[in-house]
This record gives sequence, C-alpha cells and structure tokens, in this order.
Amino acid sequence: MSELARNLNALDERFAAALAQADDERALDAVRVAFLGRSGEVTVLRRSIGRLPAHERPGAGKEINDAALAMEARLEDARAALQRHIFDADLAQSIDVTFPAIAPVEGSLHPIRRVLNDVCAYFERRGFSIVLGPEVEPDYYVFDALNIATDHPAREGFDSFFLSDTLLLRPHTSPMQIRTMQLHTPPVAVIAPGKCYRRDAVDARHLYQFNQIEGLLVAPGIHFGHLKGTLLGMCRHLFGPDQQVRFRPSYFPFTEPSAEVDTTCPRCAGFVTQCKMCGGSGWIELGGAGMVHPNVLREVGYDPETVSGWAFGFGIERLGLIRYDIDDVRRYLENDPDFLEQLG
Amino acid sequence: MRVPIGWLRDYVDLPDDPQKIADRLAMLGFPVEQIETRPVISGVVAGRITTLEKHPQADRLQVASIDIGADAPVVIVTAATNVAVDQVIPVAVAGAHLPDLTIEPRKMRGIQSEGMMCSAQELALPGEWFEDGIMQLDADLPLGSDVVAAFGLSEAVLDVDVTSNRVDAMSILGIARELAAAYTTPLRAPSFVQPAPTDAPAGDLPRVTLESADCKRFIAQRIADLPAGPAPSWMRIRLALAGQRPVSAAVDVSNYVMLETAQPLHFYDAAKVAGRHLVVRDAHPGETLLGLDGIERTLDDRALVVADEREALGLAGVLGGAASQITATTKELLLESATFTGARVRRMSMALGVRTDASSRHEKLLAPALADAAAARAAHLLWALGATVYAPQITGAPLCAPKAIDFDARSVERLLGFPLEDAEIRRALQALGCTIEPLAPGHMRVAPPAWRTDLSIPADLVEEIARIVGYDRVVAVNHAIAPHTIESHDFHVEERLANALAALGYREIVTSALHGARLFDILRRAGLTPSHLSAEVRNPLSEDQRFLRYSLAPGICEYLARVDAPMRVFEIGHVFMRENGHVAEVPAVLFAFTQEPGDEPAWRDSGFLRLKGDTQALVRRMTGVTPTAARDRRTGAHPGKSAAFLIEGREVATCGRLDPRAEVAFGIRRPTYVCNLYLDSLPDLVIPRYVPRPKFPTTYRDLALVLPLDVESARVAEIAQGAIGSLCIGVHIFDEYRGPQVPPGRKSLAVRVTLQRNDATITDEQADEAVGHAIAALERELGAQLRT
Ligand SMILES: [Zn+2]
Repeated sequence: MSELARNLNALDERFAAALAQADDERALDAVRVAFLGRSGEVTVLRRSIGRLPAHERPGAGKEINDAALAMEARLEDARAALQRHIFDADLAQSIDVTFPAIAPVEGSLHPIRRVLNDVCAYFERRGFSIVLGPEVEPDYYVFDALNIATDHPAREGFDSFFLSDTLLLRPHTSPMQIRTMQLHTPPVAVIAPGKCYRRDAVDARHLYQFNQIEGLLVAPGIHFGHLKGTLLGMCRHLFGPDQQVRFRPSYFPFTEPSAEVDTTCPRCAGFVTQCKMCGGSGWIELGGAGMVHPNVLREVGYDPETVSGWAFGFGIERLGLIRYDIDDVRRYLENDPDFLEQLG
Repeated sequence: MRVPIGWLRDYVDLPDDPQKIADRLAMLGFPVEQIETRPVISGVVAGRITTLEKHPQADRLQVASIDIGADAPVVIVTAATNVAVDQVIPVAVAGAHLPDLTIEPRKMRGIQSEGMMCSAQELALPGEWFEDGIMQLDADLPLGSDVVAAFGLSEAVLDVDVTSNRVDAMSILGIARELAAAYTTPLRAPSFVQPAPTDAPAGDLPRVTLESADCKRFIAQRIADLPAGPAPSWMRIRLALAGQRPVSAAVDVSNYVMLETAQPLHFYDAAKVAGRHLVVRDAHPGETLLGLDGIERTLDDRALVVADEREALGLAGVLGGAASQITATTKELLLESATFTGARVRRMSMALGVRTDASSRHEKLLAPALADAAAARAAHLLWALGATVYAPQITGAPLCAPKAIDFDARSVERLLGFPLEDAEIRRALQALGCTIEPLAPGHMRVAPPAWRTDLSIPADLVEEIARIVGYDRVVAVNHAIAPHTIESHDFHVEERLANALAALGYREIVTSALHGARLFDILRRAGLTPSHLSAEVRNPLSEDQRFLRYSLAPGICEYLARVDAPMRVFEIGHVFMRENGHVAEVPAVLFAFTQEPGDEPAWRDSGFLRLKGDTQALVRRMTGVTPTAARDRRTGAHPGKSAAFLIEGREVATCGRLDPRAEVAFGIRRPTYVCNLYLDSLPDLVIPRYVPRPKFPTTYRDLALVLPLDVESARVAEIAQGAIGSLCIGVHIFDEYRGPQVPPGRKSLAVRVTLQRNDATITDEQADEAVGHAIAALERELGAQLRT
C-alpha cells in the first residue's frame, strides 16, 4: 500500500469518527473546518505531497481531491440527515387543539348600528343619500310642517317629551323630510336614521328611546308602486330573497294615501301557528309609509302638480328583532356583554 | 274599540268566520288587535214563568213551571229570589251546554228539575252589570226561541283600531258601512228619521243660546214620560258585549246611540235646568263644576260649558255635571246632540285631565249631520220604549253638504302606479257613500257622504279607491333615481369612527340619553361639579328621565359599574346643554375601558399609555394626522393623568384616567380610562401621500439620560431632534426609570436616536458627531447627564 493510500485511510477513519460524533449543525461545521477548512487536514495532506515518494506524486493531487469531494458529500448527507431528524422530532409533536384559544381583544358594533348599516348600504346602492339631523326639534318640524296643526288629534299619537312650549325631543324622524326638502330641490332621495323619543312605558316591545329610519323620494312621476318596489328590495336585502311585502291602508296626516307596511315572517313563513315572531299570522309589521301629502310638498315650496313622492318611517329596533331573533327590545339599552358579543 | 260581530250583522251580511272579517278590516285600514271568542253556549231558550210555588220540602227553594213554547211546560226547582210569575227568562233545558256545566234533569229534594234558569253570569256576561239573580228578558221574545242566537251571545267581539281621521268609524255602524262597501253588499242602516212628535201641547220647550263659536250645531229635544226600569235586554246585552255597563233605559239609549253612530249625546234632567234654557258659553273664571265622575273642578275661560241660566251644567263634549244628571226618578229629559270644535274639546280635555268616550269622539272632526241623525235615533228608541217625544229644536249654522272634489281619474295612476277605469273608480267611491257627477271621460265631481269629514283633496279619494279595490293591487316596481347632490358625509364619518373603534377592540353600546337627578348626587359625592347646565324635560315619564345628558361619560360609567368586569366600550350619540335660553345639541364620541389594577410604580400608568395609543391611532385613522398630546386638567379626570390632543392648535380629544373619586361614587371597582373625541373639531381626512425612504441604511445610538423629574419626554425628543436636524429621522423614548440607581429628584430615560443620510451611507463618525450635538443641547437646556 502506498504511503498516500495509508494517509488517506487514516484521514478517512478520523473523519468518519468525527462525523459520527457530530449531532448538531454547529458540530458539523466544526468537522468541516477541521477537515476541509483553510488549514484543515486535507490542506495539510495536500501540502505534504512533496514529501511523498516520487512515483506517488503525479496522481496524488487528484486522489486527495477525490477524497475531499467524497468527504464533502458525506458531510452534506450527514447535514441532511440531521435536518430530517430535527423535522421528524418536531413533526412528532402534538398538542391539544381543543384547548381554549387565547382570546383577541375584539371590538364590535352595536346591533342597532349593524342593522342600520345594512339598511343604509341597500339604499346607498340604490342612489339614496344618508342625512342626519337633530334630536331636539321645534314643533314646527315635528308637527306643523307635517300637516299636523296644533290641536290635530294625531298629535296624541306622538306622546312627546317637551323641553319648552315649542321645543321637544323628536318622536319620529319625519322632521328630516322637511329639513331635507327645504334645503334641496327635487329630485330628492334620502334616508335619515336617528334616535327618537316617546313617553312610552318600557316593556318587551317599547322603549322611550328608540331609533327610526326615515325614507323619502320625491321626483316627477313617483308613485306607490315605487315605494313597494323599494321596500320589497329592502326586505329581501335584510331578511332573504323570498320576502314579500304587503300594504294595508292606514292614516298619517303627512301622507295620502297612507299604508302600514308588513313583510312576511322570515322565521315561519306563515306555516307555524304558534310563531313567536308573527303570532301565526305570517306577517310582521314594519311601520308606516305613504305618498307625501300635497300640503307637505307645498309647505317646502314644491309643486304637487309636477312632483310626487313617497316616504316611510320604520323602527330600527324592530328590524333588529326580526333580523337577529331578539326577544325583548330592552336588551338594546342594557348592552349586556354577552348580547354584544353574540351579535357584534 | 270593541265591536260585537252579532251587532254588526244587524247592518250587513258577513262571513261566518270572525278571522275573515278581521282580515278584511285590516286591509281596509282597521287593524283588529284581538278577536275575543265567546264560550260555546247551547240549549238556552226563552221561557215564561207560568206558576211558582214553594218547594214542599225546602224553605229556600221554589218550583217553577215554565212555558217554553213546547207542548208541555218545563218544571224547574230554583233557589233564585228575583223570580216571579210572567217573567220571561233564559232557560237552560236538559242537554244544554253552559260555559262551566252541562244541564241534566235531576231530583232536588224529591222534585224532578228539568233545567235551569240562567243568570247573566251563566251566559258569560259580566254578572255584576245585570240583575242579581236570574236574567230578565223582554216580554215580547217568542217563547222557546234560542236566546244565544237572538242576542248574538256566541259571536266573537273584535277589538278594532280606528285611526284618528275616521271618527265616523268609531262606531258599529261605521265599521259595518266599511264592510258593506268592501263586500259590495247592501247596508241595512237603522232609520234616522225623527218619530212623529207628540200632538200634546208644546208647553215650555227648552231654549238654546250659542254664545261661543266653538259650538257649531246644537240639537235640543224634550222627551217626557220616560220609561221606568231597565232598557230592553237586547240593548243591555249589546252594550255589555261592547264593554259598556248598562245603567237605566235613558242612559243606555244615549250610550247605545253613541256606540252605534259615533255621535255622543247628553241627557239633562229637564227639571234641573233652570229656565229650561241651555247656554253654550266660555266658563266664567273661578266657576266650579261637580262632574259626573264626582270630581269638582274650578274652571277658567278656556273651558267651554253648557249652562243653564244659573250655572254650568257640564263641560261641553267632555263630561256632564252631577247636578243635572238624570236619575231613576227623572220623568222628563232634555236631549243634547251637538257638534263642537274638536280643537277646543281636545284642549279642554287635556287641560282638565279628563278623557271620556264622548271627548275622544268630539275632539275629532265629527260631522254636524251626525248630530241630527243621532238625535233622531235616540228619540226613536225612547219613543219605542213609550216616551213622549217633542219636536227637536236645532240651533247653529244650517247643514251644508261636504265640499265636492273635482277628480281627475289619472291621479289614481299618478299616485298608485296603476290605472283604473272610470267605472271602477265610481263603484268604489259610491260604495263608500260618495255621490258622483260625471263631467267628462276621466273627470268627475265627487261629493263625499255627509258623515265623512276627512275627504277634501283628490289624494284622499285615491286612498279611498285603493282601500276598496285593495292595496294588493299596487305593483312593486323599481325607479331610476336621478343624480342629486345631497351629502352623506356626517353619516360616513360616524360609520368610519365606529368601525375604527371596533377595530381598536372597543364594543359599541347605546345608553339612555335621559337621566335623573341621581347623577348630580353622584358627582357631588365625588366632589365634582357638572361641566354643563342640563336641559330639562318638562313632562318626564319618571324622575329618572328628567334631564338630557350633557356628556356620554356618566352613562358609560354607570354601565361599567354595572358590568363589573374589565370592559372596553364606546358610544356615539348626541349630548345636550342648556345655554342662555336655548338647547345646544352636539354629536359626541366617548370610549373607555376598565382594567384590573396592575403592579406598577405610582409614577407610571400603562393604562393611560394604552388609552393614549388608542386615541392617537383613532385620530390618525379619522384625519390622517397624528395629534400631539399635552398635559390637561379638567373636571372628572385624574388631575395628573390626563391629556389633551391637538391638531394645529385645535383640541380634538381629551383622555385620561377617570378621577378615582368618581370611580368610587359611580361604584366602578377598577381603574377606568376615558377618552372624549370632539367630532366637530376633527379635521377632514387628509389622504396620505406615500414618501419613499432613502435607500441608504440607517443607524442608531441608544442613550441613557438622567434628567430632572419634571422634564417631559416630548421635550427631550424635541430638543434632540432640533439639535441634530434632518439627519435625525426619529427620537424614540423607550424606557423610564426612577429609583436608587439615579440621584434623588431625577429620573433616567432610555432614548434611541435613529439617523440616516439621504445621499450616502452614514458613517460611525458622522453618527457620533450628530448625537454629540444632541447630548450637548440636552445638557444645556434640560440639565441632562449621560448615565454611565
Ligand atoms: Zn312567524
């Protein structure tokens, strides 16, 4: 056996032993430095070629290179094996994925706003603007301008909180009809959401502070059918594609003709006689609507001969009751954390 | 309003099923709140007592033989005490079903009883409204006839809602009229013609003087020889089913006619009307009146009274007086059937706090023609009971027909969206009692019927037509909305704000905008004064709804106390302040959180820093600008832990730890942090512009600075930045230390200064030099020392 072969064998044995010892990335690097580094054993061997017997010298360089390449490859294999081993160990780990989560800090919108946003989104898509107005109103906007003169019997229906002889907390959002029409010329297409107040004793169906959404569309050629189309679209948007809408005659001094608007009960579709939501009738009352009274149009300087319009006023709480199956309107003002969490 | 279906059937043919009738009424604009079904009663017939004997074996029983129109009389043993021979009474024969029992023949002390005589209670009528004992029927009732059928005792009663414009339909006949029109079936109205007046000498007929224009029409009628005893049983049963207690024949007639026609009547005891002279006038100030309700009221000239020559007899259209009321001994009465100004009646009723069946009708627009009809109807009913009726005396303006409306058939399509033929329009309006004069094709003149006061413009007629042809005819269509320029800005600001707060982990709540005086007590206990004057409700429903909130904070504090757990919440809503005679209303935003107390030194409050971070993030989201913070003191906040946020000198928010005294006073058991955002001062959103960073690397130097305690971090950053200039791209203060490691009266701040050149890589030497300027400036201006 040549001297070179002996040297290479000895090197290989030491390399194999060192490799076997190395059990992490850093140890592998140390092995590389020790054997293949700038002043590692392979380099030492290369420098010793001159001391070899003359007949061995010509092929020695290549043999050493081959050996170095082989060591390089084995080092790589060892590295890959080590990596595989680490992955295997990691992948063998398993945790209890049903263990409770670390809760994020979550915010939410009040259910009233959520319904409101849904309604507003529908109307904005249909070209309506959204206007806001004051909650303390002069009686002119609440009553007189809406064709409800002093002593009109209909005033009784609005049991209002008065701040003075002429100033009150608005009992409905209809003043926004007047405010909007006084500011703008037709066509006018707005909805006006907001808080309203009435002297109602609080129970599962009534709050003294509640929210309404007013709708108003005035332009040439607008009729009852447009109102029905718009409200049908709204109900389908809010409650589902199979909703129907029904008008019943009613009376409001500021609309003529007037209607109560019902929609089909989305919970039972009229098939459950004990339905809690509709009482088995299959219909749910949404609120009042109608064609804007000519006196109201005249009051804001519109000509009832050239434009006509519809208006509606619905309770947002009620829309929420239907949409979220809420059993009691008082929950809206109680803000129970669980209620907010479930509907947020 | 209670509407017995049995009574309705007198006037109009109707389906059997009450639900069908209710549904049709709802679609006519008269929603039915409730259908009160009656218990099933059968086998009760009219019988006349022919003999009555004492039971041989029992002192307290009697044995009656009763003719029920059959071959043989029925023998009944009874304990009732109000029975007598010749009485016609309801008899439940063997096999009859009453609400609580089935009648079977049985032996009573040895005598076979073949049925039972019934009390009102046993026929499911309010027992205390009728005779004590066996119910007395009318003598002319055919013997053996079915009592349940004859009086409609099995028919349901509808509770009908009538809108305030339809006072004419606050009556059984009014509802019947609507149904007749809807079912296109004839109406069988009773006769409204006065009975032929007596030919007895007129004697002293009453006189009427109208001194107030608020009485439009007044019919007075003298009616003598009043029948004694109760009204006929059919009338009493109808009144009871309609919820009206029977009283006496005359009173019952007056109530019956009001329920039937909607026109309230009033009867005076003729003997108690001084001078037989009725005067409608304003009350004299200080004049008193003892009402039928037993309450004595002192009046002023806002009240309208009907008086005699001495004193006020009653409040016109509202309430009769006790002095002239008819009693069991009244022999002769003066009937009043009048039309007053609705507004006057309404004001009087509100001012005096008295509402009656009469005032609730008079305060609306009763048609004057109804006064005549009701007087005639009452006179007729009393005459039929044997009274002597004199001719009515009518005072007031002559009746004029309601004003005719020129109607263009095209307005149907214009308002409803579908066309109707002239014939269909005519049919609908005529069914409701309108008279129609065709003018030209598509044009007609429509005269509303005398009883309708609510029809004055074409749109009113369109609604009437729609009610009759059915609102279901309206077809849903979509419109194209022409572009218009109305802004939705405010709504969208609010929407963005709510979304931003939710994204920051706050939950939206809605609290009451009304509160009681309790809040002021809480503030007083905390040693605080309200920041604004409160606007006050004049007519609160309860004391805890007397004031309008001037801030969202109290509502949120009460909520946080109630929840009693760490919470993060916000509210967006209006607040109200009383400001020299008027009420200012502004939109307000408040967010707050409570957290468990942390373990940190007194000079540090991470809750505040968290709140400050949320505030700055929110303002940045809303405006595109990060506001600067400055120390702030105001009521309600902890004086040392509160800051104001400014954009270009305008205060846009204040935030801080809640005053601990307020926490205790509200009952919040955790440190509470509150931020007020001033929506009105918030500048509009500036759309951010992207600025690319220089591509050269940054470097930084960390400094530990020892400073006097009162030096604020912002000042340190400002001086460092100023001393270095544009090379400095950030001064970040990332820690504070106070304690034994620094001299007393001093603190240590850890500051990282980040540097960058925009034209080349900054060298270590350049960085050191720049930071050296900063250190020198901090030493010079703040007395800072580098900690080693
Ligand atoms: Zn249902």
